[in-house]
Amino acid sequence: MQLNPSEISDLIKKKIENFDLSSESHTEGTVVSVSDGIVRVHGLSGAMQGEMLEFPGNTFGMALNLERDSVGVVILGSYQHISEGDTVKCTGRILEVPVGEALLGRVVDALGNPIDGKGAIDTNETSPIEKIAPGVIARQSVDQPVQLGLKSIDAMIPVGRGQRELIIGDRQTGKTAIAVDAIINQKGTGIKCIYVAIGQKRSSIANVVRKLEEHGAMEHTIIVAASASESAAMQFIAPYTGCSMGEFFRDRGEDALIIYDDLTKQAWAYRQVSLLLRRPPGREAYPGDVFYLHSRLLERASRINAEEVEKLTGGRVKGKTGSLTALPIIETQGGDVSAFVPTNVISITDGQIFLESNLFNSGIRPAVNAGLSVSRVGGAAQTKIIKKLGGGTRLDLAQYRELAAFAQFASDLDESTRKQIERGQRVTELMKQNQYSPMSVAQMAISLFAANEGFLDSLETSKVLDFEAALHSYMKSEHSGLMDTINATGDFSNEIKQSMQDAIETFIKTHSW
Amino acid sequence: MSELATLARPYAVAAFKWAKQNDAMMKWSQSLKFMAAIMGDNEISIVVNNPKVGKQKVSELLLDICNGQIDEDDASFLKVLVQNGRLDLLSTIAILFEGYKAEYEGYVDVQVSTAYEFSEEAYNRLSEKLQKSLGKKINMNVAVDKSLIGGVLVRAGDRVIDGSIRGQLQHMQKALQ
Repeated sequence: MQLNPSEISDLIKKKIENFDLSSESHTEGTVVSVSDGIVRVHGLSGAMQGEMLEFPGNTFGMALNLERDSVGVVILGSYQHISEGDTVKCTGRILEVPVGEALLGRVVDALGNPIDGKGAIDTNETSPIEKIAPGVIARQSVDQPVQLGLKSIDAMIPVGRGQRELIIGDRQTGKTAIAVDAIINQKGTGIKCIYVAIGQKRSSIANVVRKLEEHGAMEHTIIVAASASESAAMQFIAPYTGCSMGEFFRDRGEDALIIYDDLTKQAWAYRQVSLLLRRPPGREAYPGDVFYLHSRLLERASRINAEEVEKLTGGRVKGKTGSLTALPIIETQGGDVSAFVPTNVISITDGQIFLESNLFNSGIRPAVNAGLSVSRVGGAAQTKIIKKLGGGTRLDLAQYRELAAFAQFASDLDESTRKQIERGQRVTELMKQNQYSPMSVAQMAISLFAANEGFLDSLETSKVLDFEAALHSYMKSEHSGLMDTINATGDFSNEIKQSMQDAIETFIKTHSW
Repeated sequence: MSELATLARPYAVAAFKWAKQNDAMMKWSQSLKFMAAIMGDNEISIVVNNPKVGKQKVSELLLDICNGQIDEDDASFLKVLVQNGRLDLLSTIAILFEGYKAEYEGYVDVQVSTAYEFSEEAYNRLSEKLQKSLGKKINMNVAVDKSLIGGVLVRAGDRVIDGSIRGQLQHMQKALQ
C-alpha cells in the first residue's frame, strides 16, 4: 500500500484534530534506586498492585511491592537508561496486552509486541494480563475431547476441552514434542493454539515456529516467546499474557489450547524477581506465593457454559460453550517429582502425562509411563470408540508391567502368563509413534482394535509398527468410507466392529507388511 | 530516602502527637526546622559524626548552640536523638512533621509553575479552583518556568496536574508515534 504525502499529512491532521487537549492529572514519583531490573520509587502513593508505570524513554514497569514509603517496580525490558531521580508516572491501568484473531500466525513477546518481522498487529482490543478465573456458576463440566493425535495419550490419558493436563518429565524426554504434535493435530478442528515459550533458547523457539510452519499449523497458533535472554520479569508475565490471548477465544464461545513450556522456568524467573524485591524466601528459596503463582494461572483454563458466553459477548454468540485447555509443562531434575514446584503443579492440574528418560532411551517414544500418568476428568470427554477400545490397552500394559520381570524365564512360564507378556510387548510396541505424525481417531481405533482382538499376537514384535503402517494405508485406500464414518461420529457399534474385523482379516490375507 | 523515612517516622509521629497535645504545633515546626538547619551545617555534622566525640559531649555542644532558641521539650527530643544515634534523621523528621501538620490543619502545599507571571485575578481564580478540586485549603507557591511555553503545571504532593503546552506537546508526540 502506497501513501502519497498529502494523505499522510491528512492523516496527521485528523489525528491532531481528534487529539484530546485537556490537561492531564496523574501521580508522580521519583526513582530512588535501580538494581537488576528492580526499581524503588518514592512517592506514587496512589499506585495499584500490578499497575503499569511509565518511565522515561517509553519504558514501562509493573508495580509489585507497595510499601509505606516506596513502590517496588519490575522493569519490563531494558533498564540501563533509568537512573536515580527519574520521574515515574502512574498510568492508572493494570498491565494489558493486545488480544484478538489478528494475533493468530504471529510470534509476539510477553507484552504482545510482534517479534516476527511481519509488521504491526491489526487489533484494537486489549485485555489485562491478570484476570480472575471464571466462577463456579459460569463453568460447565468437561465432556468434549481434545485429540492430541498420539495413540498412547488419546487412548490412555485422554484430555478434554477445558482440562489442565500436566506434561512432566526430565530434560530430553520429549515434552515439547508432545506439545508440538498436539498443536499440529488441531489443524482444521477449530481449536486455536497458543504456545508460550518461557526461558528457552531462541534457537529452540525458532525451531518450533519452523516446524509448525512446515506442517501448516501456524495459521491457528499464537506463539508468545520470552526467551532466556529476556528479563526475568518478561519470563514471569509471559504465561499470563498467553492466557489472556487464549481467554479471548474462550469468552467468544470458541475452543483454545494453551501450552506453557515450561512453568519451572517461570517459577525460577519469579523467584529471581521476588528475591530482588526482598520478599522472604521459603522452601527452595521460592517466595511464599509460588503456589498461587501457578494456581491462579491454571484456574483460568476452564470450560464456560453457553449463558456465560452469551453474557460476555453481549448476546452476539448464543448456544456455544467456550473452553481453554492448558497443557503446562514441568521439567524435573533426575526424575524427582517430589520437588516443590512439580508437586504444586501436579496438585493443581487435572492429571499428568509422566515422561521417563529410560523409556525414551529404550526407544519407547513418546516415553509415556502408563502407570504413573493419569487424567482425572478426560475419561468423560473421550471419544466413545477410543474409550471402548483403549480401555483394554491400559489393562494389558498394567498386567504386562507386573509380569515383565519374568519375561526372561519365558520357557518356564505357563501358557496364560506367557500370552500376557507377549500381548504386553506388542501393545508397548504399538504405542510408539513418530514425531510430527499425529493420527486420526479412526486410525487409532483400527490400531487399538487390532491389538485388542489379538491380530498382533501372531506377529514378531519388531514387525508391529510396519503392520500398523500397512494397515492404515490399506484402510485408507480400501475402506475410506468406514474411516470417515468413525472420524465423523466417533461411535462404536456392532456394525462398525464387524466391518473392522472383516477389513483386518482381509488385510492379513494380503501379507503386505 | 524511603528507608530514612521509615526510620524517622516514629520520631516525627511522637513529636507531632506531643505538639498536638500541648497545642504547640507552630513552635515545634519552627524548632525542628531550626535543628535540622544546624545539622545541615557541614562543620557541625563533622563534629557530631566524629566517633571520638562522646554522646554526652555532642548533646552539650548542640544544646549550647541552640541555647535560647529551643525550650526544654525540644532539648529532651534532641537528647533522645543523640542517645539513639539518629541525629542524621533530623531533616527527614522535619519534613514528615510538616506533612502531619499540614494534614492535621487541612491544607496542602501546592507548587505551581507557570510560563508567565500571574495577574492577581488569575492567581485567585486558580487557587479557588485548586481548593475545590483538591478538597483542601491550599498553600500556593508560584514560580515562573519559561520552558512550559504556556499554561500551568501544578504539583500537590504526588499528584501532578499538567496543563502546560509543553506537556500537551509531549502527549501529542507520543500519540502520533
